[in-house]
Amino acid sequence: MYSAIILKEWLKTRRVFFLGLILSLLIAAYAILTMNSVIKTFGVVSIWLNMLLKDASMVDVVTYLPLAIGVALGVAQMAPEMSHKRLKLTLHLPYPNMKLIALMLSTGIIEIFVISVIQMAVIAVYDLTIMHPYLVGRVMLTMLPWYLAGFLGYMFTAAICLEGTWRMRILLALPSIAILMTLFMQSGVMAAYNRMLLIIILLIIWVAVLSFGSIIRFKEGLQD
Amino acid sequence: MSEPVISVKNLTQRYGKGRIIYKDLSFDVPKGRILGLLGKNGTGKTTTINILMGYLKPQAGECRIFGESITEMRPETRARIALLIEGHVQYAFMTIEQIERFYSRFYPKWNKDAYYELMHKLHVSPNQHISTMSCGQRSQVALGLILAQNADLLVLDDFSLGLDPGYRRLFVEYLQDYAKAQDKTVFMTSHIIQDLERLIDDCIIMDYGRILTQTSVNDLMRDFSRYTFTFDGGKLPDLTDGDTGLINQSLIGREAEFYTFKPRQEVEQILTAKGLSTPDLERRPMTLEDAFIGLTGKY
Repeated sequence: MYSAIILKEWLKTRRVFFLGLILSLLIAAYAILTMNSVIKTFGVVSIWLNMLLKDASMVDVVTYLPLAIGVALGVAQMAPEMSHKRLKLTLHLPYPNMKLIALMLSTGIIEIFVISVIQMAVIAVYDLTIMHPYLVGRVMLTMLPWYLAGFLGYMFTAAICLEGTWRMRILLALPSIAILMTLFMQSGVMAAYNRMLLIIILLIIWVAVLSFGSIIRFKEGLQD
Repeated sequence: MSEPVISVKNLTQRYGKGRIIYKDLSFDVPKGRILGLLGKNGTGKTTTINILMGYLKPQAGECRIFGESITEMRPETRARIALLIEGHVQYAFMTIEQIERFYSRFYPKWNKDAYYELMHKLHVSPNQHISTMSCGQRSQVALGLILAQNADLLVLDDFSLGLDPGYRRLFVEYLQDYAKAQDKTVFMTSHIIQDLERLIDDCIIMDYGRILTQTSVNDLMRDFSRYTFTFDGGKLPDLTDGDTGLINQSLIGREAEFYTFKPRQEVEQILTAKGLSTPDLERRPMTLEDAFIGLTGKY
């Protein structure tokens, strides 16, 4: 049964997944071309100096993309469930409801994970050809919160979409936007969020629980 | 007598904290019967189905399906129930073939042939997306999936919504053959009473806040009557006044009309007591729709 549920989720999200993957590769290529152009003009040392002295990661172009992909994937996956209250069909399937929702969320998480890992790997492989692994590690740590923002954005979007009433959707959307803006979008300094990574991961787990709350409220009849 | 498939006891529900939809609603659906829940818009038909399927927590009362409380229904029990949501909603992002494969994984008694038999009649390609189909075609997909599921209980919420007469007829005929041949229990609602007349064994007719009658269609058509007589005397007296058992009287032109469960002899006595001479009193043939209007009124 779980393979059928995963297939259903894949059918809803595959277009956004491939679009996100292509965009991620294009953005990674753009970041690499930009670094290449700097190297050709000023030499590779200028890249190292920029990173060491100015805390510039050289991959800022990636910042908002994982979040955008997370939100788009959440909408693509959960909006069809709420349109015409199709969620009733899903909850009527002979499969434990909460396990089913966990499986749906896991599918989205895995898709975001795959896109993130591929983009990170492309950038990391290129960076390793031009800089010391220590600097590559710093670049990856700088990017990590952006990818975590993708997961968090996805979880928030899923919980918001699965709510049965617009009132609750708005009540969830306001803190979601505030948290994302506060946590991820304020500092462009390299590895600025290192000490907060654990908190961000815990936050993602907590936000995942919100989706289950949305389902419980839906089953209690809180629907527009 | 075997345990009812659906058992509802003292169900009470309101719109939020406001108007009461119904209070102390109780009914049973016996095994192998087709029961239609009939009522005007807003009387709580879909609400009842939402409660039964676990999408709405009732404010009071208890519902059991196959002896199991709906609040703790096991997935195995859900597998025994086929559900049609109002508007024939299905996973529109799937194709004809994908949706069949998807559902087949969940239901142990899945009958693929029943689904494809219906799909072949629609002349649709297995790769056609449900989102590109007409409302009538989608209704057949939903019906095909229900037949293939081979469930013991079918719960159908307003199956006729949005369907033209041809598709409504097709739906009714297929469902009737299937339910009778396989001894299925069906609990259904529809706002088009005509469609149900040939299909249902029993009916519950609801008004705002209460059940007006719960009986077999045969008994209803035998015991409930529409009478007419010619009235020339100006203003028709209130025949319903004083617990007469006569309901929903009307006067159109010279023809007076009322409905009742009383036998003819008692009706004549009541009319005489009201000072009316009715030599042409006539019991008129009725359809289920006439009986429904007779019970619920036209407004």
